[in-house]
Amino acid sequence: MSETSATPDLTAERLRADVERVLGEPAGSVGEDDNLLDLGMDSIRLMSLVETWRKAGVETDFMTLAEEPSVRAWSRLLLND
Amino acid sequence: MSVPEQFDVIVVGGGPAGSTLIADQGHRVVLVDKQSFPRYQIGESLLPATVHGVCRLLGVEDEVRAAGFTVKRGGSFRWGTSPEPWNFLFALSPELSGPTSYAYQVDRMTFDHLLLKNAARHGVDVREESPALAAVTDGERVSGIRYTDPGGRERELAARWVVDASGNGSRLHAAAGGRRQYSEFFQNLAVFGYFEGGGRLPAPDSGNILCAAFDEGWLWYIPLSDTLTSVGAVLNRGQAARISADRERTLMESIQRCAIVRDMLGGAVRVTEGTYGEIRVRKDYSYADTRFWAPGIALAGDAACFIDPVFSTGVHLATYGGLLAARSVNSVLAGELPEERAFGEFEARYRREYAVFYEFLAAFYDMQQHEDSYFWKARKVTNMRAGDMEAFTTLVAGAYSAEAALVRPDTLAERFSASSADLAGAVERTGAARTPSGERMTELFRAPVVADVMTEMNQIQRRGVGGAITEPPLIEGGLVPSPDGRRWIEPDTAPAAGTA
Repeated sequence: MSETSATPDLTAERLRADVERVLGEPAGSVGEDDNLLDLGMDSIRLMSLVETWRKAGVETDFMTLAEEPSVRAWSRLLLND
Repeated sequence: MSVPEQFDVIVVGGGPAGSTLIADQGHRVVLVDKQSFPRYQIGESLLPATVHGVCRLLGVEDEVRAAGFTVKRGGSFRWGTSPEPWNFLFALSPELSGPTSYAYQVDRMTFDHLLLKNAARHGVDVREESPALAAVTDGERVSGIRYTDPGGRERELAARWVVDASGNGSRLHAAAGGRRQYSEFFQNLAVFGYFEGGGRLPAPDSGNILCAAFDEGWLWYIPLSDTLTSVGAVLNRGQAARISADRERTLMESIQRCAIVRDMLGGAVRVTEGTYGEIRVRKDYSYADTRFWAPGIALAGDAACFIDPVFSTGVHLATYGGLLAARSVNSVLAGELPEERAFGEFEARYRREYAVFYEFLAAFYDMQQHEDSYFWKARKVTNMRAGDMEAFTTLVAGAYSAEAALVRPDTLAERFSASSADLAGAVERTGAARTPSGERMTELFRAPVVADVMTEMNQIQRRGVGGAITEPPLIEGGLVPSPDGRRWIEPDTAPAAGTA
């Protein structure tokens, strides 16, 4: 099984950059509270984010992210701020 | 008899399982089928993994789309305690509907023929009207088959691998050395026909399959076109004598006992001529073979296993088995993996998929309340017999060796009861179709038994849409698909995570 690192390498900057990358949006253009579904986040993109972040050592799942689709909510859920 | 013709792979059966074995790796592949296509087949309701995953991998997705099949966004169920139908949609919500959140209802004559023609286009030597007679062995492994050509001559084919995709009516599967183990729990009979002019569920559910329970069983109602509907009654095997005495009457009486379907068929007329004019009967007993492969032969589709049709799993399990077999054959023929390793992965994944659907369907049947009827009483998880538990543990043995809850009969009933309670609770919280909550599948998808059945289907769809991806192993200690999805590789040799 793959190792889950004790200190996940997901940062606020990377989270936002990953979101912008899968949406094909320019860096820095997605607002904290923008509804990501309105920006074209679909189930396939979401699933690829879940997998990317799991590989970075963050425990999350598709459904949790789908319920509150914004950068602010995901930062709260994933970064333990 | 002449010298056997030599191939790399022989496929027996030109249905969806067999047509998934295309020749895109430079292998010489021959496919024999006893029938001439197009031919009638039941199992008309598809799942998204077949449409967006397997069909895309096979390069036939555009053609399937162009065929104009009815778009199915999910299933509608008059099932369980609620008098109102509820939806099991493929999308999490209308906002998250995405590109893979629908499937099709297909006329199987057209769909299967499309897939078979696609296989031929991809280099498979397709031979119709060529029934397989028997497997040929060299003492240690299956090394070919004998079949009859359209002229009635007996011929022999030799290959390194035979894939038996010949369906439920063939005996070739015995060459893998196992036997078919039947589930006592799902021993149903289906009696079905076709109607013109039946009603449709309100949009956007008009393309959904409707499954509606009644006291003696349940009915499927599949909108194949704007006007043509496939309707079938699934009854207990105890009704066999009644069905064989009068098929039409049994079907019509079942419809009369089920208010929602009776009302939908109010102005409809049963088709009485042509392919759709016949009332057919099928034995819907669920089974799985005790062995899915032996050196030189692998089983795929109904040759390997079959599970109750209420969740439209037939074509999915068939194309999934075909895909797994193709990956294993490709890896072994390329000399990249020993056959025990490659086909061990094939069997473990295939059994896992069968097992998760088995548990899901057992939980699903357990939700229905008609406890005064024999049909439903016999399908309560608490009424599963010890023999059925043991059969199940045999069927999944190996796939889940780490999970004691699935291989110990005494804990299995407990686990299935818990799954059923989860599912019933999730359905209740989701609420009726055409309510805001009924459009959101969060509760349902969160139920562990549902999440389990979605795991592999989601991966297959993602691969179809996203192209080359890397996946973690599904089975502990197991293999992963190669980035192109066509072979198996050891997980530590997989390239670093790429993003599609």
